[in-house]
Amino acid sequence: MKMSKQIDYTEAFEELQKIVTEIEMGEITVDELSEKVKRAAQLIKICKTKLSTTEEDVNKILQELDSGLKEDE
Amino acid sequence: MPEEINDKKVFSLLEVTQSIERTLADRYKSSFWVKAEMSKLNFYKHSGHCYPDLVEKKDGKVIAQIRAHLWRDDYFRVNSNFLRVLNEPLKDGIKILFLARVAYDPVYGLALWIMDIDPGYTLGDLEKEKQETIKRLREEGVYNKNKSLKIALLPQRIAIISVETSKGYADFIKVIETNSWNYKFFHHLFPSLLQGDNAVQSIIYQLSLIKKVRDHFDVVAIIRGGGGDVGLSCYNNYELAKEIALFPLPVITGIGHATNETVSEMISYMNAITPTKLAEYLLQAFHNFSVPVHEAERIITDRAKRILNEENVRFQSEIKLFRSVTENVLSMNRSKVRSLTNSLLQHVRFIIRTREESLRTARSEIVKWTNMFIKDAGQDLKDFALTISKDAKAQLKRFIFILFQFKDSLQLRSGFVFRENLTKLNNIEKNIQNMSPENVLKRGYSITLLNGKPVRSYMQVGEGDILNTTLYEGKIISIVNLTKKNENE
Repeated sequence: MKMSKQIDYTEAFEELQKIVTEIEMGEITVDELSEKVKRAAQLIKICKTKLSTTEEDVNKILQELDSGLKEDE
Repeated sequence: MPEEINDKKVFSLLEVTQSIERTLADRYKSSFWVKAEMSKLNFYKHSGHCYPDLVEKKDGKVIAQIRAHLWRDDYFRVNSNFLRVLNEPLKDGIKILFLARVAYDPVYGLALWIMDIDPGYTLGDLEKEKQETIKRLREEGVYNKNKSLKIALLPQRIAIISVETSKGYADFIKVIETNSWNYKFFHHLFPSLLQGDNAVQSIIYQLSLIKKVRDHFDVVAIIRGGGGDVGLSCYNNYELAKEIALFPLPVITGIGHATNETVSEMISYMNAITPTKLAEYLLQAFHNFSVPVHEAERIITDRAKRILNEENVRFQSEIKLFRSVTENVLSMNRSKVRSLTNSLLQHVRFIIRTREESLRTARSEIVKWTNMFIKDAGQDLKDFALTISKDAKAQLKRFIFILFQFKDSLQLRSGFVFRENLTKLNNIEKNIQNMSPENVLKRGYSITLLNGKPVRSYMQVGEGDILNTTLYEGKIISIVNLTKKNENE
């Protein structure tokens, strides 16, 4: 779950870079433009959101630590 | 003095120990330098004295062992030397070179009296240990393990190994929490000792905890600072360094000291001089992510606008071009049509004129030729008429002449012929009279006509034909019943 989220923003970032490269190299035609820009806007949103939010839950970590410790005993 | 008991010479314990004491004092009159490992310092806070355990090992086995004592004043002096030279206090498990005397006390027994310790020797030994750790890690191929991990694009979730009350921890948290870009980090503290020998096991223990919940973290930060530079040789410890090198998450360190980099820092994913710098490193990672995202936003907006603009301009110019081309084509065609029309008209006029001309010519030719022909024909006719009249007159004269000749000969011969023929005529007349139809019919013959034509053969008539039979007197109209050939023929 968390891993996939992480991959999401990494992929978003990479895809965004790809679109930037494409548009900089002039590989985007007018026909694709609207779709690409829309996609880029989504990706930018994902990336920006990731920068300013985190969903980790301390209680969950502590719980996992506890159960892990019990297993050790 | 020894007593005699049952014929045996018997010493008191004190006499023996005093004897040993005297012997040793005689034998070991001066101090000397000794090298040994101090396995335990055994510092007694109350008295301030230390009673170190000294050993010598060979292949891990103790081959010599002796107790020692280090009196309070000596300890303070030596310890401060150590702190000054090594940034380490006197501690367990170091090798020392010390000035000693053999000391024997009847109560406490044999010991080495440590009078001084050379920190330079221990420094070299610690350095040797450090080098040893590096060498082992390299030999085991783990030296670069942590460095070669891939850190998350956003190292956002940080497992911190530190002490809550330390200044380094506070600095670190402050930087990542109060950044002006609104970057959000998640961090959780795994409290640990961070200096001194016990730090090794403490840090290793916290690393083992983090390993259990590593899915929640992107990076481990070991943070220390504010405690001076003392007791950091633990970071050269092989066990700890190896644990860090092999840790599944990138370990970053901000231990904060002015002395040489420790092995743990060397092999960590990233080392910063201070906790603040370490926090800035993480912020930088966020920048490295954020800046391209913003840049992407700008570039995409710009380029998209530009593409649309360029396309629009191109479109407009295409329209212009199209218009001018079509206008050109139109006007070209228009003028072509006009010129074709003109030339067609000209041609038509020319053809008409030519035709009119040839018609006129033909007409005049016809008229001319007709006139000529008529004239010729008239002449011919005239000539012919002349010829005819000439010929006719000559002919006429000849005829007349022949006629006169013929008249004469006729007159001559006619009388003769007349008479001769008269007789013949009379005969013929008689025959003719016999042969005349009336006479034939009178004799009972009849003539049968079919459609006014005499019938001579049965083949001329068919059944149902109406025959007209003429008799000497009257006629018979009959219808044919049967025709046939004469049987005797």
